[in-house]
Amino acid sequence: MLHIGNEYIPLCSGSSRRSFLQFGAAAMTGMTLANLFKLQAAGAVDDKKAKIRNCITLFLVGSPGQHDTWDMKPDAPEDVRGKFRPISTSVPGVQICEHFPRMARVMDRVALIRSLNYNTGSSHENGQRWMMTGHDFNAANKQPYMGSVISRVFGPKGDLPASIVLPVGIGNTGTSTPHGQESAFLGSAHAPFFLGSDPARADFKVADLEPPKGQTEFRVEARRKLLTEIDELQRQVETSSTLERDTAYARAFNLLTNPTTKKAFDLNEEPAKLRDRYGRNTFGQSCLMARRLIERGSRFVTVNQFDTVFGISCWDMHADGGSLNNTYADYEHVLCPQFDLAFTALLEDLQQRGLLEETVIAVISEFGRTPKLNSRGGRDHYPSVWTNFLAGGPIRGGRVIGSSDKIGAAPHDRPVQPSQVVASIYQAMGIDLETTMLPGPGGRPIRFIEAEPIRELFA
Amino acid sequence: MDQKLEGKPSATLRLEGRKVTRSEITNHWGTRLQWKVSRDGKEIATATAGPEPVFEHAEATPGKYEIVLQQFHYVSYAKDKDGKFTASKYVDISEPVTYTV
Repeated sequence: MLHIGNEYIPLCSGSSRRSFLQFGAAAMTGMTLANLFKLQAAGAVDDKKAKIRNCITLFLVGSPGQHDTWDMKPDAPEDVRGKFRPISTSVPGVQICEHFPRMARVMDRVALIRSLNYNTGSSHENGQRWMMTGHDFNAANKQPYMGSVISRVFGPKGDLPASIVLPVGIGNTGTSTPHGQESAFLGSAHAPFFLGSDPARADFKVADLEPPKGQTEFRVEARRKLLTEIDELQRQVETSSTLERDTAYARAFNLLTNPTTKKAFDLNEEPAKLRDRYGRNTFGQSCLMARRLIERGSRFVTVNQFDTVFGISCWDMHADGGSLNNTYADYEHVLCPQFDLAFTALLEDLQQRGLLEETVIAVISEFGRTPKLNSRGGRDHYPSVWTNFLAGGPIRGGRVIGSSDKIGAAPHDRPVQPSQVVASIYQAMGIDLETTMLPGPGGRPIRFIEAEPIRELFA
Repeated sequence: MDQKLEGKPSATLRLEGRKVTRSEITNHWGTRLQWKVSRDGKEIATATAGPEPVFEHAEATPGKYEIVLQQFHYVSYAKDKDGKFTASKYVDISEPVTYTV
């Protein structure tokens, strides 16, 4: 047995007849096997013995340019400083882009990290893996997503999955390599539950929470009873060691049939004014759903702002005139206003509900963008320096950690690696990285991450 | 998955002298808001409508002024060769208010 926090983990595992019954349960409910396995519980730590916090990650797929958002360089040459102007914030001396007026008012609750960097390639996927796992990519030793680690260590708190990704997983962002939202060696039981649907749509439904065509809830319930009878029969012939309560398929049925669980995904229960406050768009409504899910027991929710960078308005402002033709116009009219509204709504909503102290908000992206505007007025990928930020939980707001040089081309002081951000998120969620180990490949205990948290976030 | 905007936003405007105050916006798309100012039927200015609900256009050239609140309606990222959106555009989300200088 391996001691992981308050949890004892068996080091050996194998398929059992119960596993086959769980396959059957998945087929009968119409739930995809992948998502059923994600729901298999490994047991939870004792909430009473540890200060466990939650995390909502807002992943700005495509990556905003630091010069045009949270690390402006108004004194730099025109082809560096760009089009936008800085405004003052609630923190003296800290300025951000004029298109974040609401965020400027809550800067006292936000900790900016302006010296993030890495030097191992500038593809979107590389940045996604860095920021989602805290590790550089190694095809022979894939690393698990933060949400999977949290699922493994803390387990579920109720009927909802411990780790959920909204609204959908990341798809095509350029190369066909992983995006860092996989469970890797932790196994499919700890892969995140992907919503798979757009909560801003009037006809929104969660794909895996709807009985398949031709299946009524009555038939699903009848099959649950049948499964219970089969399971009871099996219990009589199994040894005592296999009789431990396994909640995986019960949870699958619960998600499908339990009105309370289904309601967690129902945004129609929220006041119209609050839905307006988040913004009636895919990102805003996903942020609102993230709050609902955290409130109802999920521990780690990621909102992917986009699932691609091609053919849509997103942060990837190459201005190439083709499928990557995002420009300052997208930032000004769509992206900055939508983020400003949704992020501040989430922060204030959590605070008003008393949830901000126990919920970390991490706003992260793959990399920064080139200091000098390209010939078309866009900016290209640039992992040498950029800005992300944290708020909530034990994070001390109103501070700026690290800085970039005069043209935003390199860290000027206090360089920070992506792995340190991930380590900080783990620490903020209540994991003592010095005393807690993670079961690695083959069950071998390993450190969560080979990096120290950013101490200034907590001081 | 492109951004889906839900519903149709709307707000009401109240005029006191030349000062315009907007209500809360229902079905707020989250995109940029702006005040559009016209004089004698011709658009003369636009200004960002920030979190503050009050707006007053400073110009005092004589004429009949009309002010309306607009929001950017994102349809697609498509732009022409000059970088202007081709399908996405600003739409009125309030009835106009008018005053004469």
